[in-house]
Amino acid sequence: MESDEKLVEQALAGSELAFSELVDRYQERLLRFLMTRCRSRADAEDAVQDTFISAYRYLYSFDARWRFSTWIYRIAIRNAARQSQRQLPAVEVPGDESTGDPLEVCIVNSLSENVWLAAKRTLSSEAYTAMWLRYVEDLSIKEIARALDRTASWTKVTLLRSRRKLSVQLDDGEAAEMKREQYGRV
Amino acid sequence: MDEFEKRLKDDAGNIDVGPSQELRQRIDATLRSTKRIEPVPESRSAGVRLWWASSLTGLAAAVLLVVLINWSIPEQDASPVEPVTARTVPPLMHELQGMSPPRLIRTAEFTTPLEEELARLQADIEKARAMVRKDVEFTF
Repeated sequence: MESDEKLVEQALAGSELAFSELVDRYQERLLRFLMTRCRSRADAEDAVQDTFISAYRYLYSFDARWRFSTWIYRIAIRNAARQSQRQLPAVEVPGDESTGDPLEVCIVNSLSENVWLAAKRTLSSEAYTAMWLRYVEDLSIKEIARALDRTASWTKVTLLRSRRKLSVQLDDGEAAEMKREQYGRV
Repeated sequence: MDEFEKRLKDDAGNIDVGPSQELRQRIDATLRSTKRIEPVPESRSAGVRLWWASSLTGLAAAVLLVVLINWSIPEQDASPVEPVTARTVPPLMHELQGMSPPRLIRTAEFTTPLEEELARLQADIEKARAMVRKDVEFTF
């Protein structure tokens, strides 16, 4: 399987298939991420679409020193922020079950509370994004800092605090114990 | 990876966004009608920037010049100007300045010597021309 960066190179050389492959790889990941940031599934889908269009239009500006995932998430974060700034009233469709938090509707295996629901409730938008990029997308501290337009030290501190806050919020004894072992205090 | 990180990852996997074939079709349709922006070559963009910079500088200089010229004209008008007649008109004429209509008289008297001079010059030319004509007749 070719790397994302190689696919970008091919797309820049004119290969539409290469960009299509990138859409395949990131569509679901971005939708899942944006569902946690937007007010409805429709907003999240619009943001995903806008993200791919922006990425396609400005593909030349992709800096190969960074991972493609950093770049595309950076665009997605901006689109999500733009969506929330519009502040249009949410349209309720009769018979549509997806009212309320769109994230709640999508959660399966809900024997215990999903950590990301608690995170959405507890953390700020940026802290939530930093956590997501670190623990779901496996981005490095530097990459998260770049995606959020923040410094590496801010990102480190935010991740540490968010993790601690989330552990307390979840009242998860096991997680709290793990954290105590790792950091020595709550 | 500790337990907490594992739970974060697993719970993210439990967010099922479902099949999104319609979204994929929308994205494909939009991408087909979207044109990629090509980067402008550096040398050309630098040339364009230089052109803009020089044009704007020239324009600013021209505007500044116009402003300065317009600024200085009223100052010239406001400054006291010595009447021309003070230097050119004989002392006698100063006494006549208070008489009405002084300007017309002064102008007439001022131009009279020139007219006389012109008449003398024309007479001289006629004399010279007559002498040349005589010489020519005498020669041939």
